[in-house]
Amino acid sequence: MTGPRASSLAIYFAAAAAMALLPFLAGTYYLGVGLALLSWIALAQSWVLLSGMTGYISLGHAMFYGLGGYLTVLTWQQWPLWISLPAAGFAAAVAALLLGWPVLRVRGPYFVILTYGLAELMKFVVIDIEAKLGKFGRLLMGAPSLETLYWIMLALALVATLATYLVRRSRFGAGLRAIRENEEAAETLGVPVVRFKLFAFAASAFIPGIVGGTMALRTAYFEPFQAFNPVVSFTIVVMAMIGGSDDAPGPILGALLLVVLQELLWVNAPELYLIILGLALIGFVLFVPDGLHGRLSRKRHGSDGRSRERPREHPA
Amino acid sequence: MKRLLAGLVAITGFALAIGAQAAEPVRIGFSLAQTGLFAAAAPSQLNAYELWRDQVNAAGGLDVAGELRMIEFVMYDDRSDPSEAVRIYEKLITEDQVDLLLAPWGTPHHFAVAGVVEKHGFPMVGNSAASVQLRDINPGNIWFPTSAIPDLMAVELVAMMQSQGVTSVALIANQLPFSLEIKQFLVPALEAAGIAILVNDEYPPDVQDMTAMLSGIRTAAPDAIVALSYPSDSVLYMNQAREVGVNAPFHFVLVGPTIDFFAGMFGPSLDGVVTIGHWSPYKTEWARARPFFDAYVEKYGTTPDYLDSALAYMSCEILQQAVAVAGLDHDRLREVIALDTFDTINGPVKFEGVSNATTPTSFLQFQGGEAHLVWPESVATAPYQPKEAWPQ
Amino acid sequence: MADLLSTQLLFAALVTGALYGLTALGLNLVYGTMRLLNIAHGEFVMLGAFAAFWAFTLADIPPLVALPFIVLLTAAAGLAIYRGLFRGLLRNPRLAERIESNSLLLFFGLSIVLQNVAAALFTATPRALPYLDSIIRIGDLGMATDRLATLIIAASVALAIVLFLRFNLLGLAIKALIQNREATQIVGIDVEKIQRTSFALGFGLAGLAGGLVSMLGQITPFMGFPYTITAFVVIILGGLGNLGGGLIAGLLLGILETYGVALTSTNYRSILIYGVFILILVIRPQGLLGGRRIAR
Repeated sequence: MTGPRASSLAIYFAAAAAMALLPFLAGTYYLGVGLALLSWIALAQSWVLLSGMTGYISLGHAMFYGLGGYLTVLTWQQWPLWISLPAAGFAAAVAALLLGWPVLRVRGPYFVILTYGLAELMKFVVIDIEAKLGKFGRLLMGAPSLETLYWIMLALALVATLATYLVRRSRFGAGLRAIRENEEAAETLGVPVVRFKLFAFAASAFIPGIVGGTMALRTAYFEPFQAFNPVVSFTIVVMAMIGGSDDAPGPILGALLLVVLQELLWVNAPELYLIILGLALIGFVLFVPDGLHGRLSRKRHGSDGRSRERPREHPA
Repeated sequence: MKRLLAGLVAITGFALAIGAQAAEPVRIGFSLAQTGLFAAAAPSQLNAYELWRDQVNAAGGLDVAGELRMIEFVMYDDRSDPSEAVRIYEKLITEDQVDLLLAPWGTPHHFAVAGVVEKHGFPMVGNSAASVQLRDINPGNIWFPTSAIPDLMAVELVAMMQSQGVTSVALIANQLPFSLEIKQFLVPALEAAGIAILVNDEYPPDVQDMTAMLSGIRTAAPDAIVALSYPSDSVLYMNQAREVGVNAPFHFVLVGPTIDFFAGMFGPSLDGVVTIGHWSPYKTEWARARPFFDAYVEKYGTTPDYLDSALAYMSCEILQQAVAVAGLDHDRLREVIALDTFDTINGPVKFEGVSNATTPTSFLQFQGGEAHLVWPESVATAPYQPKEAWPQ
Repeated sequence: MADLLSTQLLFAALVTGALYGLTALGLNLVYGTMRLLNIAHGEFVMLGAFAAFWAFTLADIPPLVALPFIVLLTAAAGLAIYRGLFRGLLRNPRLAERIESNSLLLFFGLSIVLQNVAAALFTATPRALPYLDSIIRIGDLGMATDRLATLIIAASVALAIVLFLRFNLLGLAIKALIQNREATQIVGIDVEKIQRTSFALGFGLAGLAGGLVSMLGQITPFMGFPYTITAFVVIILGGLGNLGGGLIAGLLLGILETYGVALTSTNYRSILIYGVFILILVIRPQGLLGGRRIAR
């Protein structure tokens, strides 16, 4: 693969600029859509950092999202946001480090269900804690405006995308991908497998923790069942798989596609949209197995890696 | 030929113009949990909404300050996610620009949407929400006709138990917000009344077996059992309490019995069970109650949910009566809803702040498959009957 | 707390464990033979439950009588899905190498479609099937007839499957395919036929579970997901592809659900179950009886 092409960087900048302009152009509703889109991008990018790179598919990323949300809610109106949100992220990362140590010994589909179980365990622990504290859903008074939250989320999405982009092209990323291809071989080659996996796990938890806190402020209501909802985990995985879980553009494409699809279908066929979504997923797996990004980059480079771009005179 | 065509076009255009001026529909927007965690609960609300719409349209349309206009619903699926509900209501108000709003299903959704309607100053009558935290919401754009508020419920339940001479109780609660909120008020109220709490257990929402818990209750042999449960675990409770043989003259099951499938599933086992509800079709003083019940049964082939369907329909009636007086203007509507007394299937309803000041907190009991109000005695449609042992 | 030695608790543990084991059995078959992660498993339980409901409501056919037909129905559905979706998937080498993640997505899409088609057709209003709800009392023990029937049928079917895999030629071939795919092909066994059979059997078992469950609780289009999750937890705990392990794991979860709760408190029911699950997996990453070689 050649170095960063000017055209792809330009696309990134254009997209970022477009999102940055949104608060000035769009009404409340579309700003909300933009916020949702950015949150999914941030979540999916972080997920790719772990699961896309190492092949350890996590079906429990909602646990970091919920944990971050819980911490933000607990410290609401006691700590200022610029402390509590990063703290939520750090707490999620620390949790990932502590949990990762035993949990990353498990592989393949066992790991998948294990992470799901972990997320559920955390959910029920928080439910129990809240019950003992006598809390039954927490209303957050005086949450920040939609615009403020939008800027925060934009920053998170940018950071997450940048992280995936850089990791993908770094020695660390190469090590992660070696783990994905063959963990034992990577170990014999000298890749510090355990350390790398742990770090990827922790890194993949940081942003979701903050996203969880931000979204808790968006709804201004926290309830463990909603915050640790498995649908969040599933949606992240679906977006990353559809868009491509190998590199930074993938989650962006996947999130964009799903959000746009949802908006279109909502308006035109509200009862059918989930059915169509399900059919679309099936179609994707059968016809676009490497995700959108994989298909696009293959088209550009051909399956042997050489550029297939034709000169202007000939139609593609 | 050309002249004929031109004539036809002119006539059609004229007719259309007249038609357009005559009755533009009133667009009423809302979201419901058609999929997701709460999908099983939402139909009871949607059915009531649609029944109301069909009845009003059949009678010529909604009276908007004198003008009759047909009702058109603009509905979205919020997938049981309160943040989706927020986006939907923002869309309904700013993009779809609906004329009126109806409420979503569920307490968290009401909380979430309360912020939206307040921001846009768009009045909406709520329904399926019940929490003391409702009172913290700024009045003026949302109102709650329910009287099943946890703190009041605790007081009334204890009073009811005392009137039956209950001296001991077993309390089990699902670890979901509504049940826990009630429990938080119920335990001190029980202690203050000197009723011994022999068993005090909680369980997570996805529990599959209650045998251990129920065996403990059977050994304790309390006068009353209060199950603060949600539909799935209410079903589990009823089945397993019967199996284990846990009998007590006073059985309270929180959420579930009012849903139509429950009576069908449990038949005579449901008799004697007490649950929350402030509406009964057998309250003859409320002239609208029985017709609503009959119309619902005729249209859907099932009984309405005695709590949720009744509340949903009430919110429609309140809206209807307010719009007849105030039209669609938000400020006028706000005034009318806040100050007027409304005639609903649940009798008169008047709001004080966001809460319903006229309807007392009540309980229903199933007797012979019928849902009767048994408490407070002032509104009862039938006397309370102690529960007999489970039929085998 | 309840008397730990009571027969009532034992009965509850057996019924719960049997249901857990049965739910997981079909999933294990499909995974074991084809490495497909069927996230739509619970939806076939749901379809089985609805089939029982409609048979009872519209045609007065009792669920137990309808059971064989429900099994055939879901098995046929499984075959149709195999032919329509998976044969292509398994043949395409690029798709096949990422079979596990691809099947996850594919079945996920299928589950969304099934849930929402059911909701569109049947509405999300909960249904119930009051059947066999008398109680049999033997001394201090009360057994709801439908629970007893569930226990007997689930246990019998599980036993039948285990025997089938051990003594029947086709069953042995299935076992062989689970153990070693390449070797089975080399030995000349018709892998395609085995896969078809496993699929049909796996989905049929899901339908069977659905038919039984229809008597026990409420029936809604979205009831399937908890069964899917339970099935996955059970088969992972027992060791993927190991059917005996799955049954043992199912029983273990049933014991946790009853005795575990009796020893601690119902508060901790889910924490206990997921906690033990995670603990066991961390100690034995291949599950209780899973093979050393972790299938990739």
